[in-house]
Amino acid sequence: MAGGGGGLELPERQRRGKKHSKRKKKKRVGFRIDMTPMVDIVFLLLTFFMYTTTMVTPQVMEISVPKEVEENVEVNQANLFTLYVRGDGKLFFSMGADDPQPIEYSQLRAKAVELNLLRKNKLITAFKPSPDAPYGAVVQVLDILNQAEAEIIRQLQAEGLKRERKFAFVKLSPEEVEKLKGL
Amino acid sequence: MPKIKKKRLGFVIDMTPMVDVTFLLLTFFMFTAKFKSEAEAEQKFVIKRPYASADTSKLPDKDLAIIKVGIDTLSGDTSYYYTIINEIQRRQVYDNLNFTPEQRKPQLKVGLDLLDQLIMQTRITGPRTRFAIDGDRRIRYKWIEDAIDVLRKNNATAFNFVTEKRQ
Repeated sequence: MAGGGGGLELPERQRRGKKHSKRKKKKRVGFRIDMTPMVDIVFLLLTFFMYTTTMVTPQVMEISVPKEVEENVEVNQANLFTLYVRGDGKLFFSMGADDPQPIEYSQLRAKAVELNLLRKNKLITAFKPSPDAPYGAVVQVLDILNQAEAEIIRQLQAEGLKRERKFAFVKLSPEEVEKLKGL
Repeated sequence: MPKIKKKRLGFVIDMTPMVDVTFLLLTFFMFTAKFKSEAEAEQKFVIKRPYASADTSKLPDKDLAIIKVGIDTLSGDTSYYYTIINEIQRRQVYDNLNFTPEQRKPQLKVGLDLLDQLIMQTRITGPRTRFAIDGDRRIRYKWIEDAIDVLRKNNATAFNFVTEKRQ
């Protein structure tokens, strides 16, 4: 009775004129499907995807190093700001040819901003992590310097200057390793 | 006289709105799900990435080669692993280096010499390939320094450090 194709309708309409049509089409009122099994499966899939999905994509820190060139570049010692990370993760800094002094990670940002503003764009930051330093500490220093950079750019812009960042990774010499050990 | 509780026979809840929302969530999670790559599935180490403050720059999806420096969970040894994301490029590089079928893994455990060769071939087959160093925060900086030197030697002077957002 439900299978009302187009073929069946036509004769029915014609019959209507003859006044007897006992079989009325029943309307399906309150039609229900048991959704429970479907809901079960859907929830199963949902929980699976919720647990397996990873929302955090790793972020990156962009690094650029100079090309390999043989010639050495002359650097004015007075404008050299050197940062050291010792094997145990302790941080040191020095200006020019001074001896390295210890500095806390929390103070580094303020120090970098202060020195850069003092020497404007002339300051060269040399970063000398010890080969034994934990990589996490090295990245932390780079991160702090990047944060300081935002502040420096803002301050220099206020003075109408364009920031030229001078930063380099430098290898620690054996004498410096010894020197740091004694501190 | 205590009331006799009527049993609620044929009790039905209309589940349609719940099903609607559930399907919406399901499709959302299905589309956003990103599965582990073949290379990651078989690696025997977990990289604890160094923390950095929030950054908007993300790892590129394609034209990427990753140098992983991981600590093996069982032996505790540190070593380099190299992955080229693009499969066609990976095949080309492996062909150029005459790799045996056993060596043709998506993620290779490499030494510095092999890393040098692989990076050189990666540069030849895809000059636009970006490099990323994905190192564990507990390793000594020496490992990273050596990897940087190899990259520099091959003229890949701009690369990325993979980090994790500090909470």
